[in-house]
Amino acid sequence: MAVLKKPTNRSLKGDFGLGDYAQLVVRIAIARPRFLLGYLIVIVVILLGAFAPWIAPYSPVEADPSRVLLPPSWNYLMGTDSVGMDIFSRTIFAPRIDLTIAVSATLISAALGSLIGAIVGYYGEGKGIRSWLGGGVMRSADVIQAFPVFVLAIALVASLGQSPSTVVAAITFVNTPIYLRLMRSQVLSIRRARFVQAARVAGCSDWSIIMRHVMPNAMSPVLAQLSVNIGWAVLLTAGLSFVGAGVRAPTPEWGSMIAMGFQDLVTGYWWPSVCPGLVLSISVFGFTLVGASIEVFSDPAKRRTLISEISPRKVTQVTSEPAH
Amino acid sequence: MNTLTYIARRLMFIAPQILGIVLVSFLLVKTIPGDPATLMLGPTATPQAITALRHEMGLDQPVLIQFGIYLRNLSKGDLGTSWQTTRPVLEDLLMRFPATLELVSAGLLTAILIGLPLGLVSAFRPKSWFARAVDFYSLGVGSLPDFWLALVLIFIFYTLLGIAPPPLGRIDLALTPPPQITGMYLIDTLLIWDLPAFRSSLSHLVLPVLALGLINAGPILKMTQSTVEKMLQSDFSRYEVLCGLPHNLVLRHALRNALPSILTIISVLYGFLIGGAVLIEIIFSWGGAGQYAVQGVLNSDLFPVLGFVLFSAIFSLTVYLIVDLIYFAIDPRLGN
Amino acid sequence: MQQRSVKEKEPRLRSSTVALRLNNLGVEFPTALGNPVVAIRDLSLEIDHGTILGLVGESGAGKTTLARSLLNLPPVPGRITSGECIFDGTDLRKLSEGEQRKRRGRDLSIIVPNPRSELNPMITVGDQIATRAEIHLKIDRAEAQARALEMLKKVQIPDPVRRMKAYPHELSGGMAQRVVIAMALVCSPQFVISDDASSGLDVTVQAQILRLMRELAMEQQSAMLFITRDIGIAAHFCDQVAVMYAGEIVEIGTRENIFLRPRHPYTIMLMAAFSHNAGLRAQWRRPDDQAAPRNSQGACSYASRCPLAQEACRSDHPHLRELALGHQARCHFPVERL
Repeated sequence: MAVLKKPTNRSLKGDFGLGDYAQLVVRIAIARPRFLLGYLIVIVVILLGAFAPWIAPYSPVEADPSRVLLPPSWNYLMGTDSVGMDIFSRTIFAPRIDLTIAVSATLISAALGSLIGAIVGYYGEGKGIRSWLGGGVMRSADVIQAFPVFVLAIALVASLGQSPSTVVAAITFVNTPIYLRLMRSQVLSIRRARFVQAARVAGCSDWSIIMRHVMPNAMSPVLAQLSVNIGWAVLLTAGLSFVGAGVRAPTPEWGSMIAMGFQDLVTGYWWPSVCPGLVLSISVFGFTLVGASIEVFSDPAKRRTLISEISPRKVTQVTSEPAH
Repeated sequence: MNTLTYIARRLMFIAPQILGIVLVSFLLVKTIPGDPATLMLGPTATPQAITALRHEMGLDQPVLIQFGIYLRNLSKGDLGTSWQTTRPVLEDLLMRFPATLELVSAGLLTAILIGLPLGLVSAFRPKSWFARAVDFYSLGVGSLPDFWLALVLIFIFYTLLGIAPPPLGRIDLALTPPPQITGMYLIDTLLIWDLPAFRSSLSHLVLPVLALGLINAGPILKMTQSTVEKMLQSDFSRYEVLCGLPHNLVLRHALRNALPSILTIISVLYGFLIGGAVLIEIIFSWGGAGQYAVQGVLNSDLFPVLGFVLFSAIFSLTVYLIVDLIYFAIDPRLGN
Repeated sequence: MQQRSVKEKEPRLRSSTVALRLNNLGVEFPTALGNPVVAIRDLSLEIDHGTILGLVGESGAGKTTLARSLLNLPPVPGRITSGECIFDGTDLRKLSEGEQRKRRGRDLSIIVPNPRSELNPMITVGDQIATRAEIHLKIDRAEAQARALEMLKKVQIPDPVRRMKAYPHELSGGMAQRVVIAMALVCSPQFVISDDASSGLDVTVQAQILRLMRELAMEQQSAMLFITRDIGIAAHFCDQVAVMYAGEIVEIGTRENIFLRPRHPYTIMLMAAFSHNAGLRAQWRRPDDQAAPRNSQGACSYASRCPLAQEACRSDHPHLRELALGHQARCHFPVERL
């Protein structure tokens, strides 16, 4: 079945005001409360990170040996860690680093991977040298993906020197093949669609075909992947920091905080590891939910199912067809 | 084309693929700062000793020549030596790889046992509270860092409840590990019928396998649920409903059509977990291959890293080959 | 062929010859913003045993929606809002899901277009036909397989024994269509819907398939609803023809009535469109021809495209009127003479 259907004048193309859109948002929120939850979580986490200097009760990097390993209390909402730093303050400062790294890496790898993937998908088949180059790119992507992801990331960070930007580079490198493949397979299937051939016959340049016809249709799985990917990148950053190949202490970062609390946890002091991990998990959860919502909004079949589940609104007066 | 020809062709491609992987990892690993000779000889070494050792190890040659030397040694079965353990890498890996394999296989099996049924039931009853709960589970569990979940499990079952053994390796420190037949304690202890060792190995496996299984059930569950749902919404499923076929039959057919995708995700996870269980290995002091490689990277001990990449690449490619063969068996559209 | 009169909303007493009666069917599709789109509005039909009723309309007229709604399975996200579908004395919509399911495939079956995407790719064609026979007729596997083979022979598939073990992707379009016909007819249903069954095929194959369907339907004295976009095919093939536009029937009558004396401007436009006479084509279309509007409650839905539209057409929704015995049209000013 064709990806795109010809437009029909099925619904009244009247003027829909802000009120109608607001009602629509509310109806979607009622039918799928998890979407609302996801967006809320993401917004809260971003705000916490952005306003951390004003919200945090204590400095995130000052150690105070007199208040080591205090349990959660009103003074220290998440307790203190083994060197006396307030865990709550550090936890809400952490999004600054974690989210920045994750979002940058994801966006760069998505842009890079999609572009290369689109080019390979569009040009990479057929005559001689093109298919060789295309094949070469794909086999390189294979090789990158055959690597154990974690070891590759650690190796990259080790070789480039340990800093937030190298962590971004490492995650980008590991992530790009995913978008490359995704985009390439989308482009391959769309390229064969009739409307693309029609555009070519009509004389459109290759570039305009790619930009105006192929990319918009291919974007939807990429978009759906982005938010989920950000969540995964946060987890990878935390994992790298956990082994000591990510963000260096004492910069507040969820993974390194969990690592610091490891030994203490086994002996019963759970809060230095559990609390930042909880906040980390909730943040990633939020991004995943947002990703799920984008997936539904961008896939016509899922959209239809969602529409059929939204409670029918009260029917307003039917406006008659404008006279022709 | 028949099966044997297919296998032969695939094997032909595996060699260059592995070559590519090894080349890339060699080049990558060479960029890691830290001179192995200096590290091996320690801080008291004289410059002459270092230079001599470097010459002996071939470190003063251009990189590609070094790669050639590595390949030549590889063909003789020599994967280099680890300066940390001072043993040949091949020996180290033969001891450690089965440990990882045992852990990852048990973890993946647990993930399948959790994820597949949950995914199926929620695809069959899409609007029920059960499906919603399952959805939530897969979303939630996919957001947990595996190392954090492991810590939480340790805290609950070891620190608080005291029913799990301490996270200190694969077997109770007081017991002797079984002789290395397969390298997997569960099998080896049974082969020599050492029941206390078997029980101890099993109990040490529980927490890490639970951590791996709970988290990796997520992707399996999601893939099962979404593929089966997609099959149920496809033209042919709707046509079967239009023809009045009973619901159970439609569901069974949808599952059968979904099998290739489910197999794919399982195979991808299997390949991923060999290197992806590193953090669990570190937390539980498992002595596995991933941990070995990570320690190599962090300490500029390069041959273990290369050896590990080699092992895991061969493993992944073999798994993919087996899975593709299974596809041939179940999907009539392929082959012929 | 005896003339049968078809009236809207009047209960018929000759129910023993009527295979299926549809009363006042309404189907709508909810939209995200705005009011739901009415796909089918207040549609009534009656089809007798042993007759073929053709339903002609352009894309978007609601034909597939109608076909599936007859089985009480409108395409997602459609909803049936009103109407009764009376088959064999009972209203299908009032039956339990299990009872409805029993009738689907056994008493009422549907032949779908694009057969290769509608067949399960992982099961052999023979098994798929046999399964339907096995389940609906409650016979054992061996007998079902025999029946499947017989059906394949009847639909004139070449080399039927080998084709029993074929998978859908191994068949050509024409063969796959024959398989779907075999599936639809294996249980000898009393009512067959053919939804645009021949549209994707070569012209020569089309003709064969159509002849085949007619023979098989007549053999079993089934009633058939034959849905198509091509009014010419309906001419050769159906006993009665209904023309559908914007979710309503705008003209219905016997084959002779419709083709010798078409009354509704839309019907004439459809026929003229196939004509070689460019002047005729131009006469019956307006230059700004667009797709069918919906929700035009206060006017004739064709008014915006009709070259003969007058004031009354834009303010008054016409009802189906009987213009001659067995011939009805929904028009304020039906065409008298061409």
